[in-house]
Amino acid sequence: MLPEFNLLTPQTLAEALDMLAESAPDAVPLAGGTNLIVDLRDRRQCPAVLVNVAELAELRGIRQENGHVVMGGGTTIAEMLNDPLIAQHAPVLQDAARIFANPLVRHRATVAGNLVYGSPAANTPPPLLVLDAEVELASQAGVRRVPLDDFLVGVRETACRPAELLTAVRWPTPAQHSAAAFRKVGLRKSDAIAVLNVAVRVTQRADGVCEQTRIALGSVAPRVIRARAAEESLLGQPLTETAIAEAARLAAEATRCISDIRGSADYRRRVTEVLVRRLLTQVAGEVK
Amino acid sequence: MKYTAKPLPKVELPELRQVGKPLRRVDALGKTTGTTVYSGDFTMPNMLHAKVFRSREPSARIKRLDVSRARALPGVVCVLTAADLPDARLVTDMPGQTGQKRRAGSDAPVLASDVVRFAGEPIALIAAETLAVAEQALDLVEIEYEPLPGVFDPLAALQPGAPVVHEPDNVVARWKIRKGDVKAGFAVADVVVENTFRVPFIDHAYIEPESGVAWMDGQDVINIRVCTQVVEHFRSIARAVGVPHNKIHIQGTLLGGGFGGKEDITVEIFLALLAKHTRRPVRLEYTREESILAHSKRHPFIITHRTGVKRNGRITAAEIKMVSDSGAYLYLSPYVLLYATIAASGPYRVDHLKVDSVSAATNNPFTSAFRGFGAAQAAVAYEQQMDEIAKVLGLDPLEVRCVNYLKTGDRNATGQEIKSAVWLEEAATRALEALGEKTPAPSDAVKIGQGFASYLQSYGRITWFHDTSRAWVGLELDGSVVIRCGVPDLGAGQINSLCQIAAEVLGVGLDDVTIYSTDSALTPLAGTTTATRQLYMSGNAVFHAAGAVRESLLERASKHFEEPPDGLDLAEGRVFVKDDPEQSLPLSELAAMCAAGGLPLANLYLFKAPFTSTLDPEGLQGDVFPDFTFGAHAVEVAVDTETGEITLLKSVGCHDVGRAINPAAVVGQIQGGSAQGLGYALMEEVIVEEGIIRTPSLAEYLIPTAMDLPVTQAIILESGSGVGPFGAKGIGEPSLTPAAPAVANAVADALGVRIPDLPLTPDKVLAALDRAAGREAVGAAACETDDDGSEA
Ligand SMILES: Cc1cc2nc3c(=O)[nH]c(=O)nc-3n(C[C@H](O)[C@H](O)[C@H](O)COP(=O)(O)OP(=O)(O)OC[C@H]3O[C@@H](n4cnc5c(N)ncnc54)[C@H](O)[C@@H]3O)c2cc1C
Repeated sequence: MLPEFNLLTPQTLAEALDMLAESAPDAVPLAGGTNLIVDLRDRRQCPAVLVNVAELAELRGIRQENGHVVMGGGTTIAEMLNDPLIAQHAPVLQDAARIFANPLVRHRATVAGNLVYGSPAANTPPPLLVLDAEVELASQAGVRRVPLDDFLVGVRETACRPAELLTAVRWPTPAQHSAAAFRKVGLRKSDAIAVLNVAVRVTQRADGVCEQTRIALGSVAPRVIRARAAEESLLGQPLTETAIAEAARLAAEATRCISDIRGSADYRRRVTEVLVRRLLTQVAGEVK
Repeated sequence: MKYTAKPLPKVELPELRQVGKPLRRVDALGKTTGTTVYSGDFTMPNMLHAKVFRSREPSARIKRLDVSRARALPGVVCVLTAADLPDARLVTDMPGQTGQKRRAGSDAPVLASDVVRFAGEPIALIAAETLAVAEQALDLVEIEYEPLPGVFDPLAALQPGAPVVHEPDNVVARWKIRKGDVKAGFAVADVVVENTFRVPFIDHAYIEPESGVAWMDGQDVINIRVCTQVVEHFRSIARAVGVPHNKIHIQGTLLGGGFGGKEDITVEIFLALLAKHTRRPVRLEYTREESILAHSKRHPFIITHRTGVKRNGRITAAEIKMVSDSGAYLYLSPYVLLYATIAASGPYRVDHLKVDSVSAATNNPFTSAFRGFGAAQAAVAYEQQMDEIAKVLGLDPLEVRCVNYLKTGDRNATGQEIKSAVWLEEAATRALEALGEKTPAPSDAVKIGQGFASYLQSYGRITWFHDTSRAWVGLELDGSVVIRCGVPDLGAGQINSLCQIAAEVLGVGLDDVTIYSTDSALTPLAGTTTATRQLYMSGNAVFHAAGAVRESLLERASKHFEEPPDGLDLAEGRVFVKDDPEQSLPLSELAAMCAAGGLPLANLYLFKAPFTSTLDPEGLQGDVFPDFTFGAHAVEVAVDTETGEITLLKSVGCHDVGRAINPAAVVGQIQGGSAQGLGYALMEEVIVEEGIIRTPSLAEYLIPTAMDLPVTQAIILESGSGVGPFGAKGIGEPSLTPAAPAVANAVADALGVRIPDLPLTPDKVLAALDRAAGREAVGAAACETDDDGSEA
């Protein structure tokens, strides 16, 4: 059974922030509940107050703004999957959304919940990291922006403070010559916790030389990480087979894998290399 | 290799009116529209809510157990511990049947008293006014354990000096088959192939966790409304609770799946005890997590095959060793092991055979029945062994099987003559033909493989259990039909088949038949819904009961029409003269005539399986089963050799079901059963470390989703040769059995190397490829033999 709690349903963002501030740290935001309700049922968390932010208009909507895509924190995975703006500017996010949980969960689960929960196996952080996303955090004290790479801290640990709400995720509209790809390995084809997640994004000049690279790895360290040495190894280089292989090797080196019931550390390290190689090869072909 | 279907022997099956038609099942509408009431849906006024306090330790002495704080919590009505139930045991022997004596002392206590033997073992029962209070009370139970050395591996459990789970030792059961002269058989072999295969613990993962409601009535009968495969557990429940048999009344419901996991008693004794102590209705429902903790698992097995073969593939001798993990309590382990032992050599003629099997007690979760009941584990081994033999000999896997397949009139492992049709080659070639050409690989890293498996699987219970089933069939005065039969319906269509059979015999439509089922007191006892026995046993009981009613109807009609009874027939709710169908009467009028004449309009029939005696344990030679089902499953897989991921591309099941009473239901069984087998091959494993389940919920214990499975093509063959009604065989368990080894063989085909342990996880795929690259033999050793049969 669920433990008892008070459920508050604010009508506006300001009201929600007041409610959270008033009862912090005993109050916790509730969005889709697909992490939180599971935790309550298992008694991993027993907050006295839940503030239902699922209906807040301020957290919803996907729009373009000053060369950025801005996605409300309350955007569900299903909305992401069906949004034309995302399809145009961040199809890599849809690749992650497509293998996210199952249709039922996708209709409830939000991107804010996915990020704030801080699971290293979460599906949206790798694509958002390669898009150079920032998160917008609001509290009674005001709004701050934090790069996603700084926001993610450790296993179930993020820079989100008590009484703060993740209101939006934003990233620069990717350049023309940019392509990205995502791949998840799970032990089944739907509704599986990732054994590993990999996302890459590459921006190439017309002559094929690599101007910018992003490689993000999930489920291979306490948080979703960027493989910086691997990214840097490609800068100013054409994406040759050798360069890609070296980057893939460096990416695998950046991992700090553990063995668990879903896979061995060895497996994760090794397949990280395989997927980074494959995804880089795939995007190298796509940009040209 | 291209395969073409072997022509079928000619069989003339009579065209029937109801049987053989894919009619809409009698249970379909309620399930589709959500009006079916399941066990978990029942509540009663003044009802209490129960919870079970369970052990966290796999092997420990209970130093102190104090429930006083739990008892004192306002709203708690009753807390029971072993101290309140002197020596109450959960005796799980085959209910209502005779035969085999079980080993004393290893039955589970209803509640643990001084020691706990597995993590999850029940220790205390709580009944409270609300579920919240009951849960709160769980936290107030105080317990101190003194950990005891445990044993968590069946091979370790059999070593001298291992911690003993139940005195005198950890051997729960042993069986052996001695047939022919194995030494002589190996002496004439050209090659000997030896391999060891392993299968894991798996969970039934039915959609409906265990639940029930119990209450005492005005006669002090304890009524238990519960989802169970076995309403006849009422006797064991009565014994555990300390009341006469006639004071326990099981009102079974339609099940949301059983698969063997509801074959043993689950919540019934807890409910009965609490209802008796509180004299109030009590409800108990397991969460998914508790269900995984509380009910049985499929036995892990370690199976070693040593097979002597001629160059053409003919098996000259086989020596098979099997070890199963029985877990902490006996349950059905000896019988599961027996099934595995008898199925060990598969659907092949092996004249010189030696099988030695043993089941070991451990401090792991207890293991018991699971669709396929040991024979499924055996098939995983024997079918992989057949492919390995083919590989060693450089022969096609089908070819090796064809030279060894049993034929009608041959004798199986126990020397039992197979009397029904054996369409093994017919099934295998059809499944392979339907599989078609290999799909082209999308990239170099991906390898495509095809594989298949044949099997034999008994249907009906071991004949020395002296199995019976009863059914009552009656005609109402308006011509509608009533069946009363204690069959539990697990969702496989058990009740529907009975209705279709009665409709056929009595010449009415399926909608004209109503069945009352699954009640230990009000419906005639029909035995368990296990062992693929209900269509065979209760189907025959209904067939004969309806037949008796038909006979008495035709006798009366014969007077009316002045025609001999065999000149009359029943169809569409009327009796008519065959040669002149215009001469007819509605059944209502005929029923009225019978009633006016005091003639019976109903019959209670007792159907008996063949009764045999137990076999000499020194060799197990003789008859054991009523009959067998044969068939094959074939699959195609794509294996990513860099990530180890396996994708199922195609799946075909082909089975001789004797006669499909409802072909749509048979397709359902073939698709559902194979889905379970495919999951067994690819992902299902209850991971147990030092006695603790590391896959405690459906987030960790993975079963296949619709995304993981291609639609299984079901090919139904009908030899009409079964011992069930209208020549039917059984398909419930057989549908699962060949699927897992088919996948293992397809993956080995794709990779050129075999992974001998299920499930075939990505990790294991990469490890196997590594070993192969190092040119290391993987669990396989093939060697040429000298003429004397010794290994070169
Ligand atoms: C069956 C199942 C399958 C799943 N499969 C996947 C999968 O494939 N991939 C994957 O990544 N995840 C998966 N998940 C996990 C979960 O669905 C996701 O993490 C989801 O995005 C969480 O979002 P939510 O809106 O449901 O968050 P909630 O459960 O409501 O909240 C999660 C956490 O975020 C906090 N929070 C929510 N909104 C805000 C906000 N606006 N500001 C600040 N804090 C906030 C909550 O307080 C809580 O701590 C699965 C879960 C289930 C039950």
